[in-house]
Amino acid sequence: MKRIHNFVKNTFKKLPIDQKEVVIERVTQILTEKVEDLMEQGLSLDEAVDKTVIEFGEPEDFYDAIDPSMARNAKNKNLKHYRNDLLFSALGSVIIIGMLIFTNLTYMEDIIWFVLPSLAVLWWPLALLYRYLNQKAGKTDE
Amino acid sequence: MLNSNMIRGHLDMIILKLIIEKDRYGYEIARCIKERTKSAFIIKEATLYSVVNRLFDQNLITSYIGEKTHGKQRRYYRITSLGKAYYNEKLSEWNKMKQILDTLLEVES
Repeated sequence: MKRIHNFVKNTFKKLPIDQKEVVIERVTQILTEKVEDLMEQGLSLDEAVDKTVIEFGEPEDFYDAIDPSMARNAKNKNLKHYRNDLLFSALGSVIIIGMLIFTNLTYMEDIIWFVLPSLAVLWWPLALLYRYLNQKAGKTDE
Repeated sequence: MLNSNMIRGHLDMIILKLIIEKDRYGYEIARCIKERTKSAFIIKEATLYSVVNRLFDQNLITSYIGEKTHGKQRRYYRITSLGKAYYNEKLSEWNKMKQILDTLLEVES
């Protein structure tokens, strides 16, 4: 049943913290009941878990039944998180590259070696920029 | 399978009706809806949970942990008196609406 718990936890990870725990506990309970019922009907544990996960529906079904605007808010919050991740990575890489330049120029000024590790560090904000733009494009399509 | 927004608006009533008949656990409600409609309408667990949770927050149903014969734990839902009153009110509203729609939409024979 750990798979069910992990699935539910992952599905509702965007819920506000005060609701998250109760929702995860209750939904896990309903899905566990379903898995047990399906097993009583003759399905194996893996088959029952697969069927339960497939038939669960989208998190949007959950938000729609409570308050349709919640689904949109969850998405907005998501985008904001991606932007924060990007800013964090950009700031982080500026600091790391700055330190590399400082170390290079202070101790070994005749060999310019900081460029190569700086290129490697740049992949961090670049990857997050790619993810952020993808997320933004997905949202615009909706 | 019917995925109708029209039914969605009446899920509260459908679930209350099933719980009024007898105390039921979460998945039993979903299974019952599927069986009675012969799979014409299937409620997804995500929707079921959110409706049940809302009914619970409005004190229309309560819950308790019951034991099943195989010893597995189930959370059963029971109707409250407020829930029964709410259901009756909704049912009479539905009957009135049905009457109006029947009058307006019925093809004269």
